[in-house]
Amino acid sequence: MLRVEGLTIRSEDRLLVSDVSFALEEGRITCLIGPSGCGKSSVVKWLSGVLPDGLVAEGATHLDDERLSLPTPAVAYQPQQDSLFPWLTIAENAALGLEVRGMSRSEARAWVLPLLEAFGLGGQAARFPRELSGGMRQRAAFLRTIVQPGRFLLLDEPFSALDAVTRLGMQTWLCERLRETPRGVLMVTHDLYEATQLADRVLVMAARPGRIVADIPITPPRAARTEANLAEIRTVLRSLLMEEMT
Amino acid sequence: MPFIRHAIPTLLIAAALLLAWQGYCRLAEVSPLVLPAPSDVLAALWMDRARLALHLLATVKVTLVGFTLSMVFAFVTSVVLHFTPWLRRGAMPLLVASQTIPIVALAPLMVLWFGFGLLPKVLLVILVTFFPMLLSLLSGYGRLPAAYRDQLISMGAGPLTVFRRATLPVARPLFLAGLRISATYAVVATIFAEYAGARQGLGIYILSAKNNFRADLVLAAVAVSAALTLLLLGLLQLADRLTGRRFRGGDDVAG
Repeated sequence: MLRVEGLTIRSEDRLLVSDVSFALEEGRITCLIGPSGCGKSSVVKWLSGVLPDGLVAEGATHLDDERLSLPTPAVAYQPQQDSLFPWLTIAENAALGLEVRGMSRSEARAWVLPLLEAFGLGGQAARFPRELSGGMRQRAAFLRTIVQPGRFLLLDEPFSALDAVTRLGMQTWLCERLRETPRGVLMVTHDLYEATQLADRVLVMAARPGRIVADIPITPPRAARTEANLAEIRTVLRSLLMEEMT
Repeated sequence: MPFIRHAIPTLLIAAALLLAWQGYCRLAEVSPLVLPAPSDVLAALWMDRARLALHLLATVKVTLVGFTLSMVFAFVTSVVLHFTPWLRRGAMPLLVASQTIPIVALAPLMVLWFGFGLLPKVLLVILVTFFPMLLSLLSGYGRLPAAYRDQLISMGAGPLTVFRRATLPVARPLFLAGLRISATYAVVATIFAEYAGARQGLGIYILSAKNNFRADLVLAAVAVSAALTLLLLGLLQLADRLTGRRFRGGDDVAG
């Protein structure tokens, strides 16, 4: 279990995030939703060790009972845009995290190449990101994140750049991949439909300053989720978000 | 053949200008001592080809040595300045100010201090070409998208790994632009350095032709120096094409 305790983030003149605490469990997806500017991305960036310059954070992270310093190999981060390096092929992009963590180029490539097929990237190893569609690029970015050894994945609005149809397909696809390779996931999203469809738990953040105001479990099994059995949770989430916006 | 398609308008304009020049010289009966026709320049170039080639070789040597050393110095300096922001803040105004010193003033000083050998000319080429390369490298480093840096840092990369894996590739197009600008300066700087004091080179050839009132030979040397610059630019373009397949085509998403 990965625990974040008492996270406070401030800029020179503003308190952005105040005393945020939560825990991520392995094999479960936690979604973080909230209005724009409430600090969702800042929380994820801090946990990834890439808090922007000019922001100062206090807080602790524990993996099981051990205190972590950030960035940590225990988590793998995927930023909002796929941020694939355009000068690297899909296989090279996918292997990047492994190489940076010390694996040799050939070992890293040997590790990712057999996975391309499962990620819908069969035959694309030598192609460049610019030659792929948005959905394929996103899958390549997921592959790059998932092959890293971290037990937890931090996904910052991973589907925000995709059209509605591709997004639906990618959500199902991600759940399948996570079933094969279980990880603890913290996913930032704006979309409460996405949150209720994917998450085991939804954390709702309020703004000014950013803080967690609700921790809502989504109990129906993922395969059995329907509009009807999610309606009540969505109503609760919608009213919480509307409250924050007014 | 996109190259030919692009080159045709340029070749047509150049041919028209040369024809106009040739026509003017013939019709206005301008003295070849003042303005020789292109055909006279070509004839003079052919007649004096052996001597011209000797001087050209000296210029090529200085240009290549100076340009290569300048590239190495610019890269090393850019890396040092990139990793030491306080030094960059302190040094950049001085480097910019150094560019206001006219080459006309520097060239004779170089000869005075270092004599007529290779060193003063190479130093002058470095002084002239170093800054555009340094500036283009530093500007290129500054273009690293935060998302690329964040991605690498979250993977556990240190500053050197971020530099090697993302900053340098991102800086490549601007560095190449700086190289092209510097390549054009390099030949001009070499010729000027030779003009200020040398035993061989196109600069000294031009000076001697001018002193003998041989405008045709001056223009022949100018044509050769222009060809040398174009050749240098062509080599850079070739190097870019040979090494840069993965950098071409931008970052567009297909469908």
